[in-house]
Amino acid sequence: MKPTFIPAAVAAAWLAWAGGALAGDDGNPREWLERMSAAMSQMDYQGTFVYVQGDEVVTMRITHVADEAGVRERLVSMSGAPREVLRDSNGVRWVLGDDQSVMADQAFNRSFFPQLPLDQHGQTEQCYAFKLGGTGRIAGQTVRSLRVLPKDGYRYGYTLWLEQHSALLLKWELIDHEQKPLAKLMFTDFRMGSEVDPAELTPSSQLTEFRTVDSRLPAGRGQMSAVPHWKPRSLPPGFELTAHRYFGRENQRMFEHLVYSDGLAAVSVYVENDSAEAGEDAGLSRMGTTHAFSRMLDGFVITVIGDVPAATVRYIGDAVVPVSP
Amino acid sequence: MNKESREHISSLMDGEISRETGRFVVRRLGADQELSATWARYHLVRDCLRHQEGGLAHDDLAGRIRRTIEREALAPRSRRWTPGWVRPAAGLAIAASVALMAIVAVGPGDQTIPAPGSEVADRGALQSFTSPNGLTPAPATQQASLLGGAASSSRMNAYLLRHYQATGATGGKGFVSFVPIVVRPVAVKQDLAASRQDEEQEMVGEDSTRSR
Repeated sequence: MKPTFIPAAVAAAWLAWAGGALAGDDGNPREWLERMSAAMSQMDYQGTFVYVQGDEVVTMRITHVADEAGVRERLVSMSGAPREVLRDSNGVRWVLGDDQSVMADQAFNRSFFPQLPLDQHGQTEQCYAFKLGGTGRIAGQTVRSLRVLPKDGYRYGYTLWLEQHSALLLKWELIDHEQKPLAKLMFTDFRMGSEVDPAELTPSSQLTEFRTVDSRLPAGRGQMSAVPHWKPRSLPPGFELTAHRYFGRENQRMFEHLVYSDGLAAVSVYVENDSAEAGEDAGLSRMGTTHAFSRMLDGFVITVIGDVPAATVRYIGDAVVPVSP
Repeated sequence: MNKESREHISSLMDGEISRETGRFVVRRLGADQELSATWARYHLVRDCLRHQEGGLAHDDLAGRIRRTIEREALAPRSRRWTPGWVRPAAGLAIAASVALMAIVAVGPGDQTIPAPGSEVADRGALQSFTSPNGLTPAPATQQASLLGGAASSSRMNAYLLRHYQATGATGGKGFVSFVPIVVRPVAVKQDLAASRQDEEQEMVGEDSTRSR
């Protein structure tokens, strides 16, 4: 937090005050989630954490700064291949490490995909049970635990440990609907506010030296068509359309992106027709806890991606059809 | 490093390894940097899960083992050597083994899906993946590089990046959304046919159960 940047300072002060005000009572699980969401985007923080998923154990470092330049964030692996993700007002750049490649996706108007409010239509209560737990200590900070338990197999749940004043996330555990752990993340070193060193936002040499591949996905305004050209006939319970963009014209190359969310989990549905080689992606795949399902239909490739169980992306992917005019 | 080596390390941490094998593993720890790093990593994970900020496995583990072995070589042959650190380490690690196995066993589910429109609350129709040996959550899959290869793979990477950028704030998780692509920039292709076959078998199993 820079002294010269009043909004960030005010936000941080408000979060600290709100946290302090709530620290005296149990609070409400939903309030804790909302505070976490605000803190994770508006506060400055930095730390080292361990991520465990399957037989992968990776140490990473995160630096997140919100100032007059907007949000700048750098996530870098400290073990294994030198991978990193850099986010700023120009978009996202992703260093893949091993093959010396960088993939870039340009920034788009925030109104394209506005930050989704929690429980937009009260659906989170239908899909999850919330339990506020006790206090503990992580990376030298006092934390409060919060369990978010999925009510069915179409979404994951979480156990969160939040810093008691700011509600920043210090430990995170992803669980399935039977409460079996799928992945864990925990800070071993953490600092926030004025203790954050913004010098760590400096991109690594890979970002300037490696070959950069543009995502080539359209990111302009697109068409704000009220009705999607493609959509699922049915959806898992609780999922609703929260964002939609269509690019292209009739009988030309088209690209449509729809986002469905249950208030916590989100699934992207992509439909594209310029995809002669896209058939290679057909089927189910996963990256860590992210699942993807792709299939061809009448020359169009439909791809569904989300941090949800495989069942969910398959359900939605199989259900997507063109909307009749 | 193979699965057997990981199991040896785990057993050593548990104090449940035979003396001869233990000596073998300890000697390897002194010489094999990868094995030593894995040992340190397992301890780090254990410490993280147990909220222990001190007592992390020391980076110079290999050096300490090497020095211990050298001291052993100088000791009288009649003495039955037991590495001084093994007992406390094993003692400390007994409980850790449970936590460790819990960690390495976790993995994304190879879930099966009920037919669209069926009752979602039917939990029996969704089966979470559980590793048979608790070490390698990799059912019937093959690795597929997502960048630098086929254009289709590059497309999938672009989808992933756009998805994270568009939905990163969803649920307030922030940077956590991007963690999977820093861990491993490859997708694991899952055998859809096998998955569907399992699903059908499960359905048959359920039907037989119901018919009883």
